[in-house]
Amino acid sequence: MDYQKLAKRIVQRAEKKGARQAEAFLEVGRQSSVRVRDGQIEDLTQSTSKGVGLRVIVKDRLGFAFTSDFEPAGLERLVDQAVKLAEAAAPSKLNGLPGKKDLGRYADTGALFDPAVANLPGDWKVKAALEAEKAGREVDPRIATFNAVGAGDFVSEVYVASSEGMSGGYSGTYVYLYAMPVASEAGQLQKGYWLDYKRFLADLEDPASIGREASRRAVRMLGARRVKTQQVPVLFDPLVAASFIGGLADAADGNAVHQKASVLAAHHGKRLAGAHVTLVDDGLLPRGLSTAPFDGEGVPTRRTPILEKGVLQNFLYDAYTARKAKARPTGNATRGYSSLPGIGTSNLYLEPGAKSPEDLIRETGRGFYVTSLLGHGADPVSGELSAGANGLWIENGELTHAVQEVTVAGNLLTMLQDLDGVANDLQFRGGSTGAPTVRFRQLTLSGE
Amino acid sequence: MPRASAPTRRATSSQLAPLAARRPTPSPLLPQPLLERLLAVAMARGGDFAEVYVERTQTTSVSLEESRIKSAQTGLVQGVGVRVISGAKVGYAYSDDWDEPALLRAASTAAMIAQGTGAERAFPVSRVAVPSHFHIPASLADVEVAQKAALLTRADKAARAFDSRVTQVNGAYVDNTRRIAVANTEGRYTEDALEMCRLFVQVVALGKRDERRMGQFGSGGRVPFTHWLTFPPEDVAREAARQAVATLGAVDCAAGPQTVVLAPGWSGILLHEAVGHGLEADFIRKGTSLFAGKLGEKVASDLVTVIDDGTVASGRGTLNIDDEGNPAERKVLIENGVLKGYLYDGLNAKLMGQRSTGSGRRESFRHLPMPRMTNTFLAPGNHHPEDILKEVKRGLYCATFGGGQVDISNGNFVFEVSEAYQIEDGKLGRPVKNAILIGVGPEALKNVSRVGCDPMPDPGMGTCGKNGQSVPVGVGLPTVRIDNVTVGGTQVG
Repeated sequence: MDYQKLAKRIVQRAEKKGARQAEAFLEVGRQSSVRVRDGQIEDLTQSTSKGVGLRVIVKDRLGFAFTSDFEPAGLERLVDQAVKLAEAAAPSKLNGLPGKKDLGRYADTGALFDPAVANLPGDWKVKAALEAEKAGREVDPRIATFNAVGAGDFVSEVYVASSEGMSGGYSGTYVYLYAMPVASEAGQLQKGYWLDYKRFLADLEDPASIGREASRRAVRMLGARRVKTQQVPVLFDPLVAASFIGGLADAADGNAVHQKASVLAAHHGKRLAGAHVTLVDDGLLPRGLSTAPFDGEGVPTRRTPILEKGVLQNFLYDAYTARKAKARPTGNATRGYSSLPGIGTSNLYLEPGAKSPEDLIRETGRGFYVTSLLGHGADPVSGELSAGANGLWIENGELTHAVQEVTVAGNLLTMLQDLDGVANDLQFRGGSTGAPTVRFRQLTLSGE
Repeated sequence: MPRASAPTRRATSSQLAPLAARRPTPSPLLPQPLLERLLAVAMARGGDFAEVYVERTQTTSVSLEESRIKSAQTGLVQGVGVRVISGAKVGYAYSDDWDEPALLRAASTAAMIAQGTGAERAFPVSRVAVPSHFHIPASLADVEVAQKAALLTRADKAARAFDSRVTQVNGAYVDNTRRIAVANTEGRYTEDALEMCRLFVQVVALGKRDERRMGQFGSGGRVPFTHWLTFPPEDVAREAARQAVATLGAVDCAAGPQTVVLAPGWSGILLHEAVGHGLEADFIRKGTSLFAGKLGEKVASDLVTVIDDGTVASGRGTLNIDDEGNPAERKVLIENGVLKGYLYDGLNAKLMGQRSTGSGRRESFRHLPMPRMTNTFLAPGNHHPEDILKEVKRGLYCATFGGGQVDISNGNFVFEVSEAYQIEDGKLGRPVKNAILIGVGPEALKNVSRVGCDPMPDPGMGTCGKNGQSVPVGVGLPTVRIDNVTVGGTQVG
């Protein structure tokens, strides 16, 4: 089926039924995943899926409907429902699709599709997962079992068509591998977790290395204990740092900012961190997981520095919020077919510094190196962060014993000011948000 | 890592439509001969068990922002999943295309997990009656969208009228009408229709010196639209606004161990995180939960009796049958501190020589079932809530909660306290901000020193995430006192 044409036909049909503007967002995909356990396949899942969401504007009223039923009658119902919903909605001059000036030209994204992933041999994932499990088990006799070891791939196609002249599509590939071992000693269980997730097979970390790193992380947590309540320098490893900057980006959501429901709202143009802190959202990052020519409503993606050398430079917008806030869309409309566009990040990362993570630890002397967090992260409204933390204690510049059942707490704004070290180990692990190891001059740690 | 989150009553209103008459019996989702054919194809390579899961979910959602209805949307998701079990191995394939060839392809893909070359056999199924734990006389999908939008407009007005410091109100109404059918090679064929709606309001209040506080509250469950007559949107909105305003001027939370008193209701996520997940049979079978092998052992204080009950009338976690077609049950997990049972889905039950407790749940046809909680609550004790507070010399009163999360292996759990007050000499003092509680499941439960006589379910807004699948759940807790809990905060000493 020619999905690009189908998307256009749905738009035309909606216009015929009375929509002043219409936009179809269509997704088609196939995926497969495997989990192994004790050298055997645990489960194998395969699927194909498709769906289309239709946004219409009828006399300044917005309607939206979606369906996975592509039969003619199903698509007919889709159009009728969207138009009917719009008729029942309240009118607003703000409603509207991205116009011609917002749509513009697409920059070069490089390749998004890897034939090696699309044509992955059926047993590749099983072999890779088994290899990761085996290598992980061999790391240490204290690896008792695995919560899961798995691999998967998917191929997805996206098509957008609109009455405002948008017409485009792209396809992409994704492949991932993860291991979650559990180490056991003296009645204590500790889990580890390591993964990789890429568009290109050649970029994926090798399975044995993923298994080993996951097990190393589980084993080093054995013997974990609480420490005293105190204020100390705290380091976040790249996984934890990535979740921290994800929280920052939530506060840079243009809608939250416009609603003054963000801790960053009043700080545009101000210096919030040292010159070594640059936080970027880049929809065009070469081989990035979220790299795409256009966002969820056809607006070209781009590179948007949020913090540039410590100064708050930009917020993120979709077309609706940009219109509301009298700003320009930044190509940050994210969505699936079953939802209206919302604001989200594409490839978000903190630019790396020059020091190695080992150097950061060494010059810390005494502190806490956090390797996993529990909880929902920072509150973007108040900026407050309070989370459970696991990790390793630093004494005399070296990692010593494992620590658990403590919390770290602070506020996004003071944490940014206190962010005094950025290492050179930027990595994107398991998603499109990446970070290097970072250090905060001081955080409050709650324990015994 | 599993986590849960959240996103006074009397009123009459002419804005709510009268109930529709009797609901007609819907036609089957898939014809029985096709279900049987799919089972036969799924078993063609000699699997031990096969199951066909059919789902059709109609969703409506409306959102409000800046006192305007931002959007109203509706959608249909439908698909069929085929699962084949061979030994401990599972094959699963699903399709959102209901074409017979597409469904047959899914069945033979799932069959690949079995290694045999067996011939096709017949697997007749017969329909089994399903119990009913909620009564929804008129489908939510048939209620006009304008009526759903009106709930939000009323909520917005009430929140803004509550206090002049309320600056932003966001609201969302979501309902879904979900029909499922499950047929398996044990001859069992069940169908169910599940309805659910929820109203959720989030309020931002602005205080002095640019201080911003968020409050959020929701209500819902497996309830008819007339729920909003007895639980009006104004009540939901005022509670969200009250929380936002009450926490303005809050002081930094003291870090370190404290005595805490939990208000009744949504605080039940403590149980959900501290013990519930650790009792799910997949973690138990794999030996990755610290509760594995501890049946019959003392894991909590004598005062602690924990129940998971899928049959609570109209609860958000309530089910008639689970997503494997087994009837929902009431399970006593911990009785007077002693570990009594685990939560089983079909696969783990079989592998462990047990029977399913009706705990096999899945987010949709796109997912495999796994053991999950339904409505999890702590049985009431006999302490009067006021006395519980009076006895505390210094501590923290936790009034409302955000979400929580648990690390099954080491048992570390957190839960976020969105509204808390210092307790001094048995009385509530200043509001405290940014508090979080952390503990290890069994240790925290052993420190439960008072359990109130005031059981209370949450208002119906919880969603639980596990292995990437979200399902609605209910929780409940009476007023509870726990000693020596580590409280996260920023103030030291």
